[in-house]
Amino acid sequence: MDKQTDFVLRTIEERDIRFVRLWFTDVLGTLKSVAVAPAELEAAFSEGLGFDGSAIEGFARVHESDMLARPDASTFSVLPWRSEGPGVARMFCDILMPDGSPSYADSRYVLKRTLSRAADLGFSFYTHPEVEFYLFSNSPGDGPPEPIDHYGYFDNSPQRVGADFRRQAITMLEAMGISVEFSHHEGGPGQQEIDLRYADALSTADNLMTFRLVIKEVALEQGLYASFMPKPLNDAPGSGMHTHLSLFEGDRNAFYEAGAPYQLSPIARSFIAGLLTHAPEFTAVTNQWVNSYKRLAAGGEAPAWACWGHNNRSAMVRVPMYKPSKGNSTRVEVRSLDTACNPYLALSVMLAAGLKGIEQGYELPPGAEDDVWALTSAERRALGMRPLPTSLDQAITEMERSELVAETLGEHVFDFFLRNKQAEWDDYRRHVTGWELDRYLPIL
Amino acid sequence: MSDQQRVASDEARVVRWGCEHPQVAVQHVARLESICPLPGSGWDVFAQAADPDLAVSRLAQLMDTAFGGAIAEELRSDPQVGSRLVAVLGVSEALADHLIRHPYQWTMIAHAELTRPEALDLRADLLRAVGADPESAEPCAALPEEAALLALRIAYRGSLLGTATRDVALGASLDDVAGELADLADAALAAGLAIARSGLAPDAEPCRFAVIGMGKCGGRELNYVSDVDVIFVAEPLPGGDESGAIKTATRLATGLMRACNAATVEGSLWEVDPALRPEGKQGVLVRTLGSHIDYYERWAKTWEFQALLKARVSAGDSQLGSAYLEAISPMVWRAAEREGFVADVQAMRRRVESNIPVQHAERQLKLGPGGLRDVEFSVQLLQLVHGRSDVMLRSPTTLVALEALATWGYVGLEDASTLGAAYRFLRTLEHRIQIYQLKRTHVVPDAESDLRRIGRSMGFRFDPVTELTQEWRRHSREVRRIHEKLFYRPLLNAVARLGPGEARLTPAAARDRLEALGYVDAVGALRQLEALTSGVSRRAAIQRTLLPVLLGWFADAPDPDSGLLAFRRVSDALGSAPWYLRLLRDESSTAERMARLLSSSKFATNLLLSAPEAVSLLADETELQPRSAWQVRTECEAAAGRAENLHGAAVAVRGVRRREMFRVAAGAVLELTDGEAVGRGLSDIADAAIAATLNAAIRAVEEDLGHELPTRIAIIGMGRLGGAELSFGSDADVMFVHDPQPGIGDKEATDIAMQVVGELRRVLTEPSTEPALDFDADLRPEGKNGPLVRSIASYTAYYERWSAPWESQALVRARVVGGDSALGADFITMVDSLRWPNGGLTSDAIREIRRLKARMEAERLPRGADPTLHTKLGRGGLSDVEWSVQLLQMQHAHKIAGLRTTNTLEALRACVSGGVLAESDAAALSSAWILATRVRDAITLARGNSNDVVPTAGRELGGVAHLLGYLPSERGALVEDYRRVTRRARAVMDRVFYGV
Repeated sequence: MDKQTDFVLRTIEERDIRFVRLWFTDVLGTLKSVAVAPAELEAAFSEGLGFDGSAIEGFARVHESDMLARPDASTFSVLPWRSEGPGVARMFCDILMPDGSPSYADSRYVLKRTLSRAADLGFSFYTHPEVEFYLFSNSPGDGPPEPIDHYGYFDNSPQRVGADFRRQAITMLEAMGISVEFSHHEGGPGQQEIDLRYADALSTADNLMTFRLVIKEVALEQGLYASFMPKPLNDAPGSGMHTHLSLFEGDRNAFYEAGAPYQLSPIARSFIAGLLTHAPEFTAVTNQWVNSYKRLAAGGEAPAWACWGHNNRSAMVRVPMYKPSKGNSTRVEVRSLDTACNPYLALSVMLAAGLKGIEQGYELPPGAEDDVWALTSAERRALGMRPLPTSLDQAITEMERSELVAETLGEHVFDFFLRNKQAEWDDYRRHVTGWELDRYLPIL
Repeated sequence: MSDQQRVASDEARVVRWGCEHPQVAVQHVARLESICPLPGSGWDVFAQAADPDLAVSRLAQLMDTAFGGAIAEELRSDPQVGSRLVAVLGVSEALADHLIRHPYQWTMIAHAELTRPEALDLRADLLRAVGADPESAEPCAALPEEAALLALRIAYRGSLLGTATRDVALGASLDDVAGELADLADAALAAGLAIARSGLAPDAEPCRFAVIGMGKCGGRELNYVSDVDVIFVAEPLPGGDESGAIKTATRLATGLMRACNAATVEGSLWEVDPALRPEGKQGVLVRTLGSHIDYYERWAKTWEFQALLKARVSAGDSQLGSAYLEAISPMVWRAAEREGFVADVQAMRRRVESNIPVQHAERQLKLGPGGLRDVEFSVQLLQLVHGRSDVMLRSPTTLVALEALATWGYVGLEDASTLGAAYRFLRTLEHRIQIYQLKRTHVVPDAESDLRRIGRSMGFRFDPVTELTQEWRRHSREVRRIHEKLFYRPLLNAVARLGPGEARLTPAAARDRLEALGYVDAVGALRQLEALTSGVSRRAAIQRTLLPVLLGWFADAPDPDSGLLAFRRVSDALGSAPWYLRLLRDESSTAERMARLLSSSKFATNLLLSAPEAVSLLADETELQPRSAWQVRTECEAAAGRAENLHGAAVAVRGVRRREMFRVAAGAVLELTDGEAVGRGLSDIADAAIAATLNAAIRAVEEDLGHELPTRIAIIGMGRLGGAELSFGSDADVMFVHDPQPGIGDKEATDIAMQVVGELRRVLTEPSTEPALDFDADLRPEGKNGPLVRSIASYTAYYERWSAPWESQALVRARVVGGDSALGADFITMVDSLRWPNGGLTSDAIREIRRLKARMEAERLPRGADPTLHTKLGRGGLSDVEWSVQLLQMQHAHKIAGLRTTNTLEALRACVSGGVLAESDAAALSSAWILATRVRDAITLARGNSNDVVPTAGRELGGVAHLLGYLPSERGALVEDYRRVTRRARAVMDRVFYGV
């Protein structure tokens, strides 16, 4: 038994843990949990816990449904929220086939595979997400969502509801070992932003899964409802997840080159070019819901074209202002993805696109200097900016043709994902929306 | 004596010594004799030199130095001095040149003693050379860095002169020489550390620092020149700052590495290689003890523990080093308990065996099967497996460990001693190769002069090149059988009767070992071994020698247990047949083929067990190629003709078919026959069996009737049989056609034809030990509802009036397989106008075919089946490719003759050459078709029966992936690859077939 496992078993004893929740993520990014008693944990560590994979979205079909969840002892953490009562802890799991080999259906394994490809090239991948979400005072089903306040960006509200919420959420996150860099009121009414600290991509993805649950739990405790829906309100900005990416070679930031334009190394330039070239193909993964495209259509901070710019908030990829003396902070910010993605898959496809750019030596086109939304479509065409898909349907079509996404997700996840998303789109197309009723019923 | 005679006798003298360039040598000798005349035959000592030319020229140069006089004096007083100098100078050009540059070191040779110097003295010598105090706890070089580097190199080589003298002149054992080289490396590391320490800034945070020797240095079995593997560990002083201490230690480590690696006018020592540290090249250079422990507890892989088996304190703070060993060593012995140990070990074994640069494979001493690394690896593996419970096995030195394994019964005594001798020989050979230029090489040179020098230095005097080569090959042969000797033969001893006093593997150790080799049911395996080897029969004796090898072959397959079990069943069936025993004994390749077959294919095993004499086919690789259609047909006809009745004919034909199927199956498993040839071979066999049995059935019915058959019958192959691309386990798709003789009524003729076909089906499927040959006639007009047999007139009428486009499509693969050939040809002519319609297909017909295919996709796939994994009806599977190809054929065959073929791959090639399909599209379609076919064949071969779905887990996946050439660690990639290849084919199919 390794030391980490030993530590977990000891802590369970010492802190009187009654249940351990084993967490894993389905292909669509929903957190799944199975509770085991501490007595079963040792077996779960050595052999994995058997479960019926066919019950999990995207895992397996009925006839091949036996799967194993093996907890990763290094992710052990006690759950701090009251609703769980005392003595509950959690660990993330790797999903294995009955013979102990990793399952290609496991999103975590998709990311691990992509990270090991990066490692083969000598890179480690660091990420830093800025998570936006809304707080509503009513639950879904109680009429249209009502934001908890009507303040805006950075506002210091006198009601303090949002601030209290953020303080408690951050305390809880820190209690689970997730460091928060920054938090503030965002542009929309009731909209919050919490930025997680830089971490390696696997930890970031694990942290985001935890984050979404913590935020929901804290909201419930305060009688609120938190939502990561990409565009819940017609007249307010959507919730995105701007994510900063960088590659390191050992201790050195591979994106940094002193004296180069914007301090961007050739590696960084090819990485960005890879993101831009393949963005239309991977948008279905980074923006996976019908609703995601309502956010991208709204303009403002949400990008709709595959272009980049230095400090340009309308571009899909932004190169933030360089801080002298902080060579290691050179990074690129992808602004298209939203918080409702499966973070394991989203980080994988972005990394794979960037690596492809590096391997193939893609040329970076000139950056966008203007507000991309203000350009005419002819101007954008002239500048070589390709539009991102404008609907889930388009995104699916683009992704279907992508060897890169297929290779990154693996054929199993790729196939399931496309089928599932096609079904979602078909469902949506059949639905008559409120907009149509409002607009057409009176006149037609 | 005239001058001329004198010259002649001088030359004769040096030629007698073995000089190859006598004129040059004579001049050197003249010079030598002028400086140091020796009485009588004094200089005949040169005859002992490995390379007399080299020894003569270098000794002459040495005598020319300022120390010539002193050397001459000793030469005259002590004949031993001469032979030592000649031995060293004649074997190493590099050391000789070093000595000529630093002649004062001649005493290192002249005064060397057989007893090797104490490690501490070596360390003190090298430390003093760089101006450091050996008594100090942290010696620090006083010389400036550049001078210290030179001094270290000169002193190191000086000591090496002594080592070389003991090695080549005084007869020191390999163990001693290799041990001394390791001590010398330790000393150099200590001196390097002293140099590094002198470069530290005065305010550097103090630290404790130790160098752990790994690899051959750690095992005290070093070469003259090889990388010295190390791991660095450091700790702050009590209360000190850890990060500062690590910083200092990192400087020490890099300084130490530079001190040894750096190239100077005196050359460099060797590479110090820290790559075995935690996280390898990605990891930090120096870690604290706690950080090492953390790493090995949490992250380390099996091979890292194997490497740690050799860990030893080499230099630096010995208390810290000992603390490191105390913490880490226990983990080494728990490595075998780790999850994945078996899989790791097997992967490591494959790596050891496969890592050969091809151009030198034949002359490699270190890499490849039977190389030195294989010996070391195998010994270490046994140490990991058994050292867990037996502390006697824990030596880091290969030869010591091997001896211990033998002493305590884990390896046979005799095997251990032959292996030990071979290892010593090969290592000595490696030393003698390296010492010449002090170059790191593990390749035996092929130049005659090199081999001669090396051979002479190893005591082969008479015909050094031949003798050396023979000895080398003999020992290599022994080592090449190392796995048999070390791993498997002791397992037999575990179940054998042994002489008193002979140690044996305990049952528990035998189980550990079998499990480590991949056998799941170790108890069962031991039982089979016992049954196979006990007794005094000739069979048991032969099997005793054979099994150690077989066990290894079984272990390479995914299911070793069933391989062993199947072998026992074959042996029970054939065991006493003399030819079988002879085959096994004399033809080791037969045994290997059999082992691979039995442990990877249930299908082939079943065919073999129903008639074991087919083992004889395995004796010759050419026998495993599918036989020609003509040969098979002739044999089937002859066998059927010899039989007394229809039943006998069918039995004989089915026997031939079974044997021929075994031949094809064996060829496929052993990768002698590719997929296309398998398909053709199986189709030829089916053709022959059907045709011969049909003729026998006709004869039987004629006998009943008492007259000739009133109608002619032909059998048309459809589907994969028609395409000559049959798989193992697929049914034969056929249609039956007949043509009544003039004047015979249609009804009467059809009834008799039905009778013939009925007999034919009955005798080919009735229960028997021979596999049945089933027909599927569902493609006939009106399918299951239509009459089984029709006259050609009826076919013609039907196709003229009713035929749907899909029926024409099914006819694309129609081909005559047996019966009346003229009738068959008429039938084919009749259907040609349907399947290759003039002007291609109408748009209505195309639409109809597309619709039918779309409906099949929706309806035919079994419920719950994963469409991406169904080889027949799934996405991009066989049916997708075949329908695409057939559509193209029907559209274009009327103008492209090449498309008029029943074979899918041939048609695809014709599509490309005819310009109706892009080459890349054809490639996507054919790779999917070939892969799906190979997967289907592999499924049948592995499990013994067919299945349409690619397995995704478990033993079944393991078996199929093995047959398709995937390593165990990458078997999941089969499913990935299958999905990828078929996805691409489907994209092409969407365009080509559906026109999307």
